[in-house]
Amino acid sequence: MRFEEQLIEILPRLRRFARGLAGSAADADDLCQAAIERVLKSQGQWQQGTRLDSWMYRITRNLWIDERRASGRRGVHTPIDEAAIQIAGDDADSVEAGTLRGDIDGAMARLPDEQREVVMLVLVEGYAYREAAEILDVPIGTVTSRLARGRDTLMHLLGEAA
Amino acid sequence: MTHEKATIAAFVDGELDDLTARRIEREAATDAALADEIARHRALTDRLQRHYDPVADETIPDELLKLLARSEAESPAPAVDTSLAARREAKRARFAPMHWGAIAASLVLGLALGTQPWRTPADVVTEGGALVASGALAAALDTQLASNQAADAPVRIGLSFRDRAGRTCRSFEGAALAGIGCRGAEGWTLERTMRESRQGDYRQASSGELAAAAAAMMAGEPFDEAAERKARAEGWR
Repeated sequence: MRFEEQLIEILPRLRRFARGLAGSAADADDLCQAAIERVLKSQGQWQQGTRLDSWMYRITRNLWIDERRASGRRGVHTPIDEAAIQIAGDDADSVEAGTLRGDIDGAMARLPDEQREVVMLVLVEGYAYREAAEILDVPIGTVTSRLARGRDTLMHLLGEAA
Repeated sequence: MTHEKATIAAFVDGELDDLTARRIEREAATDAALADEIARHRALTDRLQRHYDPVADETIPDELLKLLARSEAESPAPAVDTSLAARREAKRARFAPMHWGAIAASLVLGLALGTQPWRTPADVVTEGGALVASGALAAALDTQLASNQAADAPVRIGLSFRDRAGRTCRSFEGAALAGIGCRGAEGWTLERTMRESRQGDYRQASSGELAAAAAAMMAGEPFDEAAERKARAEGWR
């Protein structure tokens, strides 16, 4: 199968992942577009036989992190509200449990990036811890601890009915 | 409840070995706190999946597909997107064999193509990496005679002929897709495909290119009316 055809097969999942990272549909598709451009430009680096999807996810994720850092420096990205700053730290407990019952986008937006990406990779995309660790280039222990914190915060914000 | 949260998470995430997983299942049958914790974890996963999964079923935006199709046409680097370059590119790429494989793959994913170049009815499927006609297109190739087709037929048959491999092939033009299908054991394999655009000049140009492509594939003369009928009666073998 041609490289481009394989990419197209991955694209629906990649859009889902990007939606989780970026939050909005428009930002997610911008991210996908940038990722596809990057992948096409660097397809020579991809080794046949290795997993194209993992590579694609990694590129997408790295682009997103770059984008976040750049916009942070420009001061473009502003947190949704003051509470977001607190919750993005370790202060989830300071916000009433169940505040965001039903608002999954809102709850995900309040996770720090490094927790949100693990939640997406493992809980939504269904990657094994080891695979997620490879995509993110971190040890497995880092994946499990970020996942645990992300889960706790989501359960807390979404309420017991989560 | 004696298990750590991490173990419960690993259980729910399918990360435990079979033996340990079964042990936890057994314990959960009698340990309400453990069962609750498992249920809470499962509920969160389910909720997230229900929330995000529909994104994967959405139609992929044209912009993303175009990036890939353009790349496929002229790998490795994408074209500079001036209108002139794009037009030239479209013309050059139009008849690359199997060039629209990416589009076909997207059809397999259930994307509907329509009146725009990127939208065609699901008249094409892939089988073992080859594009094969299906639906209305397959029906037209199977039954429609060039000598006797309605003026408003959704698919118009052009030439029928035998190629050098001895297969019966037929050129066709539909609302969104034009090309040449050759009859094999599995049905009509599409040897040439091109976007169809029913806009004056383009339509003419594509007809000409189809004819040229057919001529290049042909062994002998195209079928006349009698030969076409005979071929249909014999199932295009």
